[in-house]
Amino acid sequence: MERPLRRLFLVFTLLFAALFIMLAYVQVWAAPSLKTNPSNTRAVEAEMKVDRGTIYSADGVKLAVNTQSGPYFLREYPQGDLTSPWLGYNSLQYGRAGVERAYNEDLAGQSGLLGLNNYIDTILGQTHRGADLKLTINMAVQRAAASALGNRKGAVVALDPRTGAVLAMVSYPRYDPNQIDTLWTQLNANPDRPLINRATQGLYPPGSVFKIIVAGAALQEGAVTPQTPFDDPGTYLAGGYIVNNYGGEKYGKHTFAQAFAKSINTTFAKVGVQLGASTLATFASDFGFGKSPPWSLGGSASFFPAPGSMDKAHVAQASFGQGQVLATPMEIALSAAAVANGGTIVKPYLVDQVLDSNQKVLQQAKPQTWLQPLTSQTASTLRDLMVQVVQSGTGTSAAISGVQVAGKTGTAEVATGQPHAWFAGFAPAGSPRVVVAVVVENGGTGGAVAAPIAKQVIAAALGQ
Amino acid sequence: MSAHAPASTRNRELLFLIPAVLLTTVGFALVYTQKSSALTWYSLLYGVIFLALFAIAHVGRRVLAPYADPYLLPVTALLSTLGILVIYRINERLALEQALWLVVGLVVFLLVLVFVRDLRILRDYRFLIGIAGVLLLVFTAVFGRDINGAKLWVHLGPIGFQPGEFAKILLIIFFAAYLEDVREVLTVSTRRILGVPVPPFRYLAPLLGIWALSMALMIFMKDLGTSLLFFGALLALMYVATGRFFYVVVGLVLFIAGAALLYKVFPHVRLRVDVWLNPWKDPSNKGYQIVQSLFALAAGGLFGRGLGQGYLVLQNGHTIIPELPTDFIFSAIGEELGLVGAAAIILLFLIFMYRGFRTALRACDDFSRLLATGLTTIFALQAFLIMGGVMRLVPLTGITLPFVSYGGSSIVANFALLALLLRTSDSVARQQAAAQERLERGSARAAVSAAPVTGAPLKAGGA
Repeated sequence: MERPLRRLFLVFTLLFAALFIMLAYVQVWAAPSLKTNPSNTRAVEAEMKVDRGTIYSADGVKLAVNTQSGPYFLREYPQGDLTSPWLGYNSLQYGRAGVERAYNEDLAGQSGLLGLNNYIDTILGQTHRGADLKLTINMAVQRAAASALGNRKGAVVALDPRTGAVLAMVSYPRYDPNQIDTLWTQLNANPDRPLINRATQGLYPPGSVFKIIVAGAALQEGAVTPQTPFDDPGTYLAGGYIVNNYGGEKYGKHTFAQAFAKSINTTFAKVGVQLGASTLATFASDFGFGKSPPWSLGGSASFFPAPGSMDKAHVAQASFGQGQVLATPMEIALSAAAVANGGTIVKPYLVDQVLDSNQKVLQQAKPQTWLQPLTSQTASTLRDLMVQVVQSGTGTSAAISGVQVAGKTGTAEVATGQPHAWFAGFAPAGSPRVVVAVVVENGGTGGAVAAPIAKQVIAAALGQ
Repeated sequence: MSAHAPASTRNRELLFLIPAVLLTTVGFALVYTQKSSALTWYSLLYGVIFLALFAIAHVGRRVLAPYADPYLLPVTALLSTLGILVIYRINERLALEQALWLVVGLVVFLLVLVFVRDLRILRDYRFLIGIAGVLLLVFTAVFGRDINGAKLWVHLGPIGFQPGEFAKILLIIFFAAYLEDVREVLTVSTRRILGVPVPPFRYLAPLLGIWALSMALMIFMKDLGTSLLFFGALLALMYVATGRFFYVVVGLVLFIAGAALLYKVFPHVRLRVDVWLNPWKDPSNKGYQIVQSLFALAAGGLFGRGLGQGYLVLQNGHTIIPELPTDFIFSAIGEELGLVGAAAIILLFLIFMYRGFRTALRACDDFSRLLATGLTTIFALQAFLIMGGVMRLVPLTGITLPFVSYGGSSIVANFALLALLLRTSDSVARQQAAAQERLERGSARAAVSAAPVTGAPLKAGGA
């Protein structure tokens, strides 16, 4: 009986050894892949235990807060859909977007010194508090912009041309970030794509707002002055392509300043062809085309075709923002900002301060020059042209009594439906504090549709 | 020598109980601070209670079975300490119940030691015990309540219990006694079929009956775990009794054939096996439990997330892994105490098993040996099946981790098992001491006038 007993003991010892080996395999060897398995909710659970930082607007409105439930923190967005295009969401199921994504390390308290605190908190089993963010967004302007755009598809960007601080950014349609988990499938299937931020990701033909860049190029290159005379017979033939004015208008004799104010396509086609594809492309690039917005929040790069690929007809079309040219509202706002800010584009930013739980400032945003497409003299000349647009041109509905508003309208024709309505402008023209870009998809003419929106946003930004 | 051994043995047991008491006190204090971020005397109460309980058990064992193995009780204390600690961390109410069951278990432990003073009683009543065991199973099959697809629970008023836990021990006693009777016949068989010696059918019949019973268990009660336990223990006992591997082969063939048939016929068996083979096919539904168990173990890593730090209980009080305090307590330990803590549990079971088989090896009579083998086998096999189940080494069966899992029946039955094992080891040590003394007396030819040597320790123990 002894031999079988010893063998039985051996068998059990081997079984227990197998237990140990399997256990070590699961707990150590296979653990990394098990931890990152999509069915594993433990990483999410760890995140839920972090008291994620609060996000405030520049005027102190809470944009993202936590509600505590047991040991867990649930993210809430008190402003609902109003802030979603740039604030994004922090979904345990679907990840993050917007500021929640770009500043996740700060909000979750993993960056810099907070990361060390996090480690200590973990060891001590304490709740870890992430960093708060103070944004540049002014909720008064944001609300004004959102209500001015209303339920029309499009976008509004307002920023301070001197610093690059984004004051408002509206995109429609948008979504309620509080319901991202339940609406996810529906939002993704929606052909209007409410999940994208049209202000930075929407690429539209810019139409006549692109004339800001073409006029800047022409003035800077010395090809024209505001007084340079032109004659408009109503059409201009460029490489077999017939350029018309919007609405088939004929303007006759006029100056370059008037061509800008009245948005005369034939004259701009002439000027563009005279400048040539490569000069236009260089200036477009100098204004930021072909570059993503210089910040961590992402966005699309606006597009200007390669000069080698453009024939005369293409150049003529590009000269008034049609053809292959595509721009985001942000890029158009930054182009206008160049004019407003003496020819220099300051990098846009959305997060002003990163603060720890004691409200000590950990990071402070500083204005940084991004591009300098124009000399201050050209910028000043162009600014006067833009003032005339609002005073006596196509953009009169952007005028505000008591404030000099400068701007440029755009009516970008599209294959189907009404044209996209554009407006880009700034105020006060003498010392601009706010730049606004507006696009309304298939909205109609820039002057009638987009300029009044810009007017309300400018008024809100200037506290009028 | 024989006079000193028990004394040092007893103190060794007392010494080894200290870690268990320390673990309880420190562990409860830790979990308590984790839960209410303040340490009160209340949290130390469990340590005091534990100290008292196992001191009583120790004294009881010292008086009732002085020669018994000194390691089994401390190992048990450590296992149940760890168990109640983790249960407390999961659900305070359950921990309180478990503490009460521990008290009941210790009472049963002492009662078994008191009433089973001699293993011969068990042998004499073997058929009664065997019938009682079968009746308990039949009783469960008839009156049992379906919980999670398995019929294991019988409810008498507010208290539910699992008769299977007790039937297990009764049937092991019966197997051991029966095999002692028939082992000669099974070993020396006359007939040969295909060159293989086959014992007369009437001796094999009861064993085939047990096989049928375990199959019936699977079919009617859907209790895969207990069925496997019975069968495994029976095979081990037959192998030890006869020394013939042939029985193991036949048994395995029978079992595999039966299991294959059940796999084809019964969806719940098929489900268990399929989930074991590939839980990732349906990780949020059918494979949920095992997948979550693996996640828990992975989260624990080498050193664990710390007591009270694991992701075990949801805000609504539900556990992430269903059946966490019972079937999946090992996963909870793996998450909070890591590979180190979980391996310590495996090691404790290994020590228990080693002491059990050691008792069997040293036994002088067949019944003691078979009983120790049977009890140890069923205990070790149960621990192996459930630990292997939650880490996906073997298919998952809904059985408890002895002494660790939450469950009154399991605790009480295992304390009875422990008492029987200690009684066996006590009687084995007594016989050996007697043999030793006879030898010494014989060699020294010293005619010391004394009471029969075998009687001396008995008196000392019984006093």
